[in-house]
Amino acid sequence: MLSDGPAPAVSARDLSKTYGDRLAVAGIDFEVEPGICFGFLGPNGAGKTTTMKTIYGLATVDGGELHVLGMDAARERREIKSRLGVVPQETNLDGDLTVRENLLQQARYFGIDGEKAAERADELLDFSLLAERADERIQTLSGGMKRRLLISRALMGDPELVVLDEPTTGLDPQARLAVWNALDRLRRRGVTLLITTHYMEEAERLCDRLVIMDEGRIVADGRPADLVLRHVGREVLELRLEEGCDPDRLVGSLDGRIQGHDLSERTLMLYADDAEGLLEGLDHQSFPTESALVRRATLEDVFLRLTGRSLRE
Amino acid sequence: MALEEPGYAGLGPRIPLRDLVPVPRLAGAVWLRNARVFSKLWRGALLPTFLDPFLYLLAMGFGLGTYVAHINGIPYKDFIAPGLIASAAMWSSAFETTYNVYFRMNELRLYDNVLSTPVEVQDVVAGDLAWSASRATVYGCVVLAVVAGFGLVSSWWALLIPPFVILGGLCFSVIGYTFTTLIPKIDLYSYFFTLGITPMFLFSGIFFPFNQLPEWVSVVAWFMPLYHLVEITRGLATGPELASILENAAWLAIVSAILFTIPVRALRKKLVA
Repeated sequence: MLSDGPAPAVSARDLSKTYGDRLAVAGIDFEVEPGICFGFLGPNGAGKTTTMKTIYGLATVDGGELHVLGMDAARERREIKSRLGVVPQETNLDGDLTVRENLLQQARYFGIDGEKAAERADELLDFSLLAERADERIQTLSGGMKRRLLISRALMGDPELVVLDEPTTGLDPQARLAVWNALDRLRRRGVTLLITTHYMEEAERLCDRLVIMDEGRIVADGRPADLVLRHVGREVLELRLEEGCDPDRLVGSLDGRIQGHDLSERTLMLYADDAEGLLEGLDHQSFPTESALVRRATLEDVFLRLTGRSLRE
Repeated sequence: MALEEPGYAGLGPRIPLRDLVPVPRLAGAVWLRNARVFSKLWRGALLPTFLDPFLYLLAMGFGLGTYVAHINGIPYKDFIAPGLIASAAMWSSAFETTYNVYFRMNELRLYDNVLSTPVEVQDVVAGDLAWSASRATVYGCVVLAVVAGFGLVSSWWALLIPPFVILGGLCFSVIGYTFTTLIPKIDLYSYFFTLGITPMFLFSGIFFPFNQLPEWVSVVAWFMPLYHLVEITRGLATGPELASILENAAWLAIVSAILFTIPVRALRKKLVA
């Protein structure tokens, strides 16, 4: 595929990665335009984190090609990492240092010292609303504060690309909002963001483009709204069926009026552009239901359609 | 919280020379982090180091020394004192590169962060080893000051002891670090200390000389890094035999350099698989 736009921030061609005999990433292709927020969605074990690790140098590229900021990830690891910021899934702040010292130490790893590092640390303490806690130990911070500090730490090297692995997992709604706002501010500065998440609303809200991964492969790729239209449609009619209601016959009776359906236990989802109309036309006599719900289709529907409804792991 | 065991990753493939040579500025960043943390804790950490040689001198020097007056023409207290400088460096290096590194690597998971910056595995290993050797030198110098305070050092050449303690500390550190990067779980350190460090402490010529023991004892001792550092510190504390000192220093330098590649390879396999 040839594109005319600016050089991609990340591009992968047939990228694969094996751990022992487990194929974690099974030959994926994707391209991230600079300046956007690009999402990786997928159930646990789908290969999202591994893909991220190949980008920031904690996993080697086993097959295919990976270019980050125009450089070959297999050979120019150090150069790539000097222009990258990483927010890992696991909180790995340095518990023996204070909040400010964590930032100053990170600057040293990027070869930044003295005055410049101190200025940058102050700026980022403000950015993450942690200026008042600057001289406290890490242990005194809440989960949300630690997350914000991790983001600030990732920015100490003034990166062009920031990789965030599940940045809001385990946070309460206010803390999550604070992280989202921080990411919005970053994107407005022109930083490219790469993010993995399980939260569909987060992906819908933050990501300009995203891929959905499952079992090491990319199963869908596009803008969130386009993906919803393409794979589900506009609306969903969610029916809770009574015991005597046969879902197969019900679906059969709607032939041509729905774009697809899914069944999970006794709940039947019908995907249609006009779910309200569908509900009105339903033969309640033959197909008794306990309850019915008409709602907008979301990315969550796409996700569950493409990666299945059964439990993973 | 249950301890998560890192598992055995193995030695890892051979790596090209350019991936073995650390960048001094970045290794220095790793060194500085460790030094910064130590600077917060040193008061508590150093106190036992003052007491340790004091206790050994009391038990061995003044206790056993009452029965063993001289060894090779040197008063017994003066004989063991320089060895305690060397062993302090060994104990410091052994603890730093085992429990401390293990904790940073597997519990705090600091290296996952460090390695996602421009710092590479060889910088981390070099910085950690340089730090461990520095810390060993601090400990060694504390003991040097204590034994000198007791009047157990008879030569001004003893002022040259610190740089050789750096070298010895480096050698102990590479060995401990190698062990840490290869072991699958923390329990195995008890073997490292019981079968490695403690015997070395007892049989490296600190407490008795080898010249009246069977030949094989000296042969075994030659393979122990502590023996070489004890030869150096005793040589300098009692007046030097330069050739012997340089020979022992060369042993420590060569062994350190050869072993350096092992933790780099093992750590790369473990963290950058």
